[in-house]
Amino acid sequence: MPSPDFSPVTVIGGGIAGSTAAIALSRHGLPVTLIDEQSEAGGQIFRAPSPYARQTVPPNHEFSGGDTLRGKLAASDVTVRLGTRVWGLSPSLTLDLIGSDGMSQLPPSTVVVANGATERFFPFPGWTTPRITGLAGASILMRNGGTLPGQTVVVAGSGPLLFSVAHQVLELGGKVAAIVDAGSRTDWFRLGAMLALDPSRMAQALSWMGQLRKAGIPIHHRSFLSSAQETESGLLLTVSEMDHPQRRHLYAAETAACGYGLKPSTLITRSAGVQHHHDALGGYLEPVTDVAGRTSRPDLYVTGDAAGIRGMAVARLRGLVTAHALAQDRGLISSATYESLTRTPRRQLRRLDAVSRRMLPLMNAGRELAASVHDDTIVCRCERVTAATLRSAIHSGAKDLNQLKAWTRCGMGPCQGRMCEDSARNLVTGTCKNTPEDAGSFTARMPFFPLPLTSVTGTFDYSDIPLPKAAPL
Amino acid sequence: MTVALHEKPAVYDAVIVGAGVMGATTALFLARAGLNVAMIDRQDMFRAASGVNAGTLTLHMTRAQLIPHAIRGREMWLNSAEWLGEDVGALATPGLSMAFTEAEEDLLRQRARVRQEMGAPIEIVSPERAISIEPGINPGLRAAAYCALDGHIPTYRVGGAYARALKQAGVTLIENAAVETIASSGGQGYEIRLANRNQAVHAHRVVLSTGAWLEKMLGWFGHDIPIRCLINQLVVTETLSPVMNSVLSIANGLLSLKQFANGSVLIGGGWQGEGNIRDGGTRVIPENLQGNVRLAQHVVPQLNTAQILRVWLGLESETPDAMPLIGPLTHDDNAFVVGCVHSGFTSGPYMGRLLAERILGADPDLTAFDPYRFSSSPATGSQP
Repeated sequence: MPSPDFSPVTVIGGGIAGSTAAIALSRHGLPVTLIDEQSEAGGQIFRAPSPYARQTVPPNHEFSGGDTLRGKLAASDVTVRLGTRVWGLSPSLTLDLIGSDGMSQLPPSTVVVANGATERFFPFPGWTTPRITGLAGASILMRNGGTLPGQTVVVAGSGPLLFSVAHQVLELGGKVAAIVDAGSRTDWFRLGAMLALDPSRMAQALSWMGQLRKAGIPIHHRSFLSSAQETESGLLLTVSEMDHPQRRHLYAAETAACGYGLKPSTLITRSAGVQHHHDALGGYLEPVTDVAGRTSRPDLYVTGDAAGIRGMAVARLRGLVTAHALAQDRGLISSATYESLTRTPRRQLRRLDAVSRRMLPLMNAGRELAASVHDDTIVCRCERVTAATLRSAIHSGAKDLNQLKAWTRCGMGPCQGRMCEDSARNLVTGTCKNTPEDAGSFTARMPFFPLPLTSVTGTFDYSDIPLPKAAPL
Repeated sequence: MTVALHEKPAVYDAVIVGAGVMGATTALFLARAGLNVAMIDRQDMFRAASGVNAGTLTLHMTRAQLIPHAIRGREMWLNSAEWLGEDVGALATPGLSMAFTEAEEDLLRQRARVRQEMGAPIEIVSPERAISIEPGINPGLRAAAYCALDGHIPTYRVGGAYARALKQAGVTLIENAAVETIASSGGQGYEIRLANRNQAVHAHRVVLSTGAWLEKMLGWFGHDIPIRCLINQLVVTETLSPVMNSVLSIANGLLSLKQFANGSVLIGGGWQGEGNIRDGGTRVIPENLQGNVRLAQHVVPQLNTAQILRVWLGLESETPDAMPLIGPLTHDDNAFVVGCVHSGFTSGPYMGRLLAERILGADPDLTAFDPYRFSSSPATGSQP
């Protein structure tokens, strides 16, 4: 056992995984700083509701679970820095931060990345209208803002979020015009069988399904939103069937929520240079980790959905196991103690992981859509790059994502490719023979999100600027 | 891109190593003259300096001795449709270089004078005149140097345009293939060995145009020339409503500031980051990011409403005398170099074309760029 090392640990992300890990690390006696961009910890699922939402949304598991987690965090020795975002990092893991108190840096420490997931989108004609949000965005609006995205909503895309969002619309008194799912009914039945291993998920799924059936909401499987047209009162949405392209269904709605599953947020892990691989089942890039979230760098761990999408229950267990493993790596506990502390969570993890992996193909059911996107459709909405422009660049020889970005500006905008990368990759692999690994991913650049220029410059005099020596004459 | 080498001729007339603006222009003109040409790059083409630079067309920042070349290079960019086959979107604008202190004003006048002598239409103007040309600048300036012949290019459009032109000219492109050795192949030209490829490439002539990666390859030809690698920082903002029309700089040359058609403002000027050519990793130095951006905000105060979208770094190569390397590397005239050109994006196409003309038998004046100026030892052909 190495001699105990009590140097600091920084946890990025105060969701279920990050908060759980931070509390457990702190109980091992480590000085822990938890950084989160929101004004309260909780992440996406346990996001703190606004006062208005507390009045309008019926009490639910997410509110109570979040309150419990925030209470535990407040009672712990964890230093919590809320309203703070990581906008860059150095090779030695100095973190560049920006918060309400301006810019600051955290000196190199062991970093636990728990920054969760990003929603995946596939483009279709009209998808850039402001009347269309993501499923996760709609959920935040309802759960945490207490506000419906529209009185009548079409809920489209893939994965379990479809049914969660539809349920939330009904809960707030809205109407769901239709549910449009890229996955097949058979896929869901197969998953249903697996859910026996995960009773809490099973119970939730059954209650949602019962409610949706009672409300008489049409559900289209193996179908997708093929166009959205703005009308005076909202949207006219066309639903097409994947196996029968000529069959179409029209719906009028005030808004639509559409998203094609989640993927790990990898800007930070890619910038830190840890190994990643393409998970074929999930259709996304994820950091290579062991069961405890260790990566190819000894000073960086990844936990929760950031290590691969598995959902809330797994996130909590992963947070615990990562914390204990880090404590063991630091020589704070013996391997025997680690084994005994993590025996139960690791057993639960194995069981839940199997169920969660079965969800990945359902989340990724829209994968075949991007390659067939219409030429005129905008793929990169930040830089307004169409599928035709991308296809033409691919034909000119841009066969990896970074060359595609360099030649077309796709992925160069404020979202840094979070929204278009999956579509761009599918276009590359669908147009030439490159695999997703060959196509790669957009190089992560700092800052990770737009920074006010004045936050970098501050107050200064001209004479403060350390002008370098003049260039040669 | 992988090329089926076995389908290609056994020996190319010329192989260009390094697919950036200069090498690609040489390749293009050689191929159009009827030579069988291949171009090799360690990455995808145009991904190093030629793909990530600030796109400035500038006489203010070009070395005085290179002004005539920069003027010709700028003309080529503005007429790219004629020789490259498509318009890359180069825009002619005025250029203003500013002085805010007495020392800077002296420097401004000195730098303007030597450039005027080399043919740059640069004149010193009053603060009032400068503000009438560019209303958004800081009115606290003392003087400005005005040049009617500046401009900029959206760099991202250049690589694809070259890719299409080279394809049409019949140049074979071998990407993601680092050159490991270049060896003389029995007096019949060269054998070029590539990483991750079993088959070597053979050529009667070789052109090195690998920018920051030149030093080692020059050594293979007996030229011991230390190449300094500059790690230039670039900053781009989110799109803004128009705040400037011209290319702005300051007297000592360490700022380039322009707004592209899409509204984004690009801040450059050669502030340094960290990095090296071996692992390719580059990193921003926070104080230099702050200094560079402060300077930009000082010059155009309205930038205080901007958001910084991205920061990146590009590698620039420099010889000990900061003058280019262009010309033959061997006495039997079968290996050549083009590179290390200060403000190389402005002059790049012209420099590449000059070397192509030299290879094709013309006799352009390349005396000042002769690689032999750094060594007295005669070249003996290649020694890997």
